[in-house]
Amino acid sequence: MTREADSDRLEHAIGIALRLGVTTSSICLAAGLVATFVGMSGAADLLLQTGVIILLTTPVARVLISIIEYVRERDWTFVALTAIVLVELMASAVAALVFNRRV
Amino acid sequence: MPVVTPLLAAIIFGAGVVSGGFGALLGIGGGVFLVPFLNLGLSFPFPVAAAISLTTVIATSSSVSAERSGKHLINLRLGMLLEVATAAGSLLGGITAQLVAPAILQKLFGIVAAMVSVFMVGRVNRRNVILDPSVDSGVLGGRFYEEESGATVTYRIKRLPAALIASFAAGNMSSLLGVGGGVIKVPVLNAWCGVPVRAAAATSAFMIGVTATAGAVIYYGRGQLAPALAAAAVLGVQLGSWGGMHVGRRTSAKWLKLLMAGVLFIVAVLMFARSR
Repeated sequence: MTREADSDRLEHAIGIALRLGVTTSSICLAAGLVATFVGMSGAADLLLQTGVIILLTTPVARVLISIIEYVRERDWTFVALTAIVLVELMASAVAALVFNRRV
Repeated sequence: MPVVTPLLAAIIFGAGVVSGGFGALLGIGGGVFLVPFLNLGLSFPFPVAAAISLTTVIATSSSVSAERSGKHLINLRLGMLLEVATAAGSLLGGITAQLVAPAILQKLFGIVAAMVSVFMVGRVNRRNVILDPSVDSGVLGGRFYEEESGATVTYRIKRLPAALIASFAAGNMSSLLGVGGGVIKVPVLNAWCGVPVRAAAATSAFMIGVTATAGAVIYYGRGQLAPALAAAAVLGVQLGSWGGMHVGRRTSAKWLKLLMAGVLFIVAVLMFARSR
């Protein structure tokens, strides 16, 4: 495999993941918004929260896909770099929990 | 937390369309327009405005990058390397946003934005292109087909430390102020690091999703994100960025740079106005 062919495959996989994430979350958010205004507050809340969580996890999924792809390519420098990014994202989730507890 | 009415949702949807359109054109998240609108126009508390804006930044980044994938415009390796710095900046910014008043940083942001704006205007006719396509682009450089000139563009990365520092600063500003941070990264990548403006914009837009997530998660955990209003903004931005992408194909690189410089100047003025 050449570097450019590897890069093509990764770009393609990332494209699919991002498209899937943003489409599903948009559908949930749109349905949630409609549910809010027709007075179905229970369903609205569930749909909106689901939409937001899918939106927030889409970039995380993209980082995970990159790690897997770089492991397959045995490109350890980029495995390490993308793993650091994942750790940083996890750390922000931990920071969110810490702040939440302090409120 | 603002009360959600159909009118308010419609207004935010409209604001999303406008900021999403400009965001896609410029390779910035569009938050530079949305945050001042929500904060100054609709009088939302700053963290509420920033949190809504960050969710739209994630959506724009995801949809724009999905649309662009396969065209080699996004420099994946450079993007992933710079994400290490931008996510660290974002994490730190998200934490400091909860602890300090952002007035001083807003002023700093205003100064940086104004400086970069002037710098961009001075470099409008310069092109970071190696014309011989057989030239090696290096480990981090790239190669893409430019529709405008009908040629394959090859570039190498210069001054990587500058790109890393700019990415860290951009991540920090992103979480603190609810913007994507492209306003800092795109000019630095273009003017100092040898990345052609379209590749710089595409790579920045790609990174912004991770940057904004690191910040948005903290606002979300803190309960500062209004899901219904975020939904209206995200859907508006989706529509706007789709429109902006189609106009973007017909806009020349020179006009894109001038538009960017103008936007930066407006951002600088707004930041100063807001920091009082």
